[in-house]
Amino acid sequence: MKKCIACGMPMTSRSEFAMGDTSKDYCRHCMRPDGSMQSFAEKLTSMTEFIVRTQGLDASVAERSAKAMLRELPAWEHYFDHGS
Amino acid sequence: MNKVSGKRQLQKTATREHILNTALAVYAEHGFSASTNVIAQEARLAHGTVFVHFPTREDMLQRTLERFASELGDKLHELSETEDDLKNFLYTHIDILTKYEHLYKNIITELSSLPPAATTSLIAVQSIASHHFGNVIANCAGRYAVKPIPLHMLFNIWMALLHYYLLNSELFAPGRSVLNSRRDELVNSYMELIRN
Repeated sequence: MKKCIACGMPMTSRSEFAMGDTSKDYCRHCMRPDGSMQSFAEKLTSMTEFIVRTQGLDASVAERSAKAMLRELPAWEHYFDHGS
Repeated sequence: MNKVSGKRQLQKTATREHILNTALAVYAEHGFSASTNVIAQEARLAHGTVFVHFPTREDMLQRTLERFASELGDKLHELSETEDDLKNFLYTHIDILTKYEHLYKNIITELSSLPPAATTSLIAVQSIASHHFGNVIANCAGRYAVKPIPLHMLFNIWMALLHYYLLNSELFAPGRSVLNSRRDELVNSYMELIRN
């Protein structure tokens, strides 16, 4: 099973892939309206909002957690290469 | 990859899986203070072999929690694609947590003393569960209405109920699985509370 490189979501059906294209490595939630993959800053914002919407956590806690989650994903490895 | 190195790689993966599964069982039974030495003994492996795969205790802990979080997330994801009955979704959520009941209880009990990565894993899995919870509520909109309460509160109330019973399991189901013993009461009462 393929997992989105930008958020880790399993992509089991065609509709979950960006643009419905199963050759893509990212999902529809991590895509911009033009079909390209969101930037790190965009993903950090959307992931933070996702955590707040689903659990109601404090925004600063949500952002810190989102950053820690992105650190583990292949699309963003290079953002953390220097321990930042 | 030649035949020999391919076989080695398979063995390496199998050993890593075996260590992770053993760690899940050990953390469930003894809590997260269990040392990697105990895990090595239970896995019948040399301590050094465990260290090759998981260089630090934190690494072992993080990968074990990720395994749990990933299994829970994948199952709920699969279910939310097809499920249009919140009740069935809640039963499945309880059933998955029942499988990991001791481990999960230890996570919520010991969370403040665990490395930050443990909190991250728990936050990730709860957000995923809540997201799918919201999808199923949307799917069942034609069949019954849910009170106009924000998603995070609907989800947090459900989790608060489960956590209260888990933390007081000896009062509600001594020596047994509290989630399994009380599943009907928990699901039915929650449904009554949120239905409009």
